[in-house]
Amino acid sequence: MAAVLKAASAPTRADFHDAISRRSNCWYSVCLRLTRSRDLAEDAVQDALLTAWNKRQQFDGSARLETWIHRIVVNAALQLLRKQKPGRQEPLEIDPAGDGESPDAARFDAELGDQLSVALGHLSEMERTCFVLKHLEEWRLGEIADELGMNTGAVKQAVFRAVRKLRTHMTGLLDEAR
Amino acid sequence: MRDDELILYLYDELTPVERREVESRLRSDPDLASRLDALRREFVDWKNAAQPPAPGDMVQRWHDSIDRAAAGEYAATGEPRGAFSLASFAWGAAVTAALAIGIGIGAWFSNRPAAPPTAATSVAATQPALPEQQGTAFTRGLRVHFRDAQRELSSIPVEAAADRTELVMQLIQQNRLFERAAEEHGSANLARVLRAFEPILLRLASDDIAPEDAEELRKQLAFELRVMLTILERDASNKTQST
Repeated sequence: MAAVLKAASAPTRADFHDAISRRSNCWYSVCLRLTRSRDLAEDAVQDALLTAWNKRQQFDGSARLETWIHRIVVNAALQLLRKQKPGRQEPLEIDPAGDGESPDAARFDAELGDQLSVALGHLSEMERTCFVLKHLEEWRLGEIADELGMNTGAVKQAVFRAVRKLRTHMTGLLDEAR
Repeated sequence: MRDDELILYLYDELTPVERREVESRLRSDPDLASRLDALRREFVDWKNAAQPPAPGDMVQRWHDSIDRAAAGEYAATGEPRGAFSLASFAWGAAVTAALAIGIGIGAWFSNRPAAPPTAATSVAATQPALPEQQGTAFTRGLRVHFRDAQRELSSIPVEAAADRTELVMQLIQQNRLFERAAEEHGSANLARVLRAFEPILLRLASDDIAPEDAEELRKQLAFELRVMLTILERDASNKTQST
């Protein structure tokens, strides 16, 4: 009976479409930050969606579907990163920020986004991964350590280095953007 | 107090004791408080930094992948399996991946710009000169794929939409693996051609293709395989004669 109820409450195709429509930009964004490759980011989201679809019976409804998928997306990106050879990521080509019609705040955020993308390019893969998971994804240090197979101290140091480097590279850029 | 402790404070990664200590210092040290404010502002800015949205065609592909997964699943549970077997499924993965690579190589050899894969006639028109550095192992493996594919092609389940859908979905995954492999080997053109091949495979995965269209496709596959085998074997023969 419980199994029947669980199957009945599993997310449907429409639920997935809805989640994609509302959250795929966010999934793509974190994958892009992690992988620094549009192709890999697309693949990560694609892999995650198929994984989520195949495991949808395991979705227990304790979180929103898009939140559940989000975690799978991040894991898919990390998995793809592990498969990549060092130096595989290309510097991101930054799209021009704003279109002249955006509100100031949106334009500022877009410029900031471009600058952060450039600054993230100055980090090592480990520093970038730890920073993105900590700062943007708000994982606990312990979770990051578990996921990456490191000790918490090493994750902490990677985050410290990342923050230091970002502050160095972003200094001035921010003032110009404001 | 070092910035590292302030970072951990903002990330809420301090123990309660450490946290109280930092807060106590902040109350008594205005410089420290202003350092914390500056750091917090930067943290907020980084958090708010926008990323470009996912391109529309990419989002559409994600929608499509869910539709196909759902269609394949539904069809698989709603129709008899027929003569389709795991072995032929595995073969199917190999054959289309090999075919995709074959067609890709055709375009690659001809140094064309990244355009969608073309029909067999254009592949046949190419004069492949396999770069030496690619080695013979790769082409040997490719020929094995093609020969296996030729042998098995006649049993492709053109009438069973579910099987075909499942098969092509698997092929798409395989195609992506080869695409990545091509990229890793610095064959950007080949990778682009393989990537361009994917939309065609996606159309083939559609469960509303009529059996006669599927049969047409099967014939086309057979023809393309024959062409590619001829090209590859002639190339191998030429190499043997020249050495």
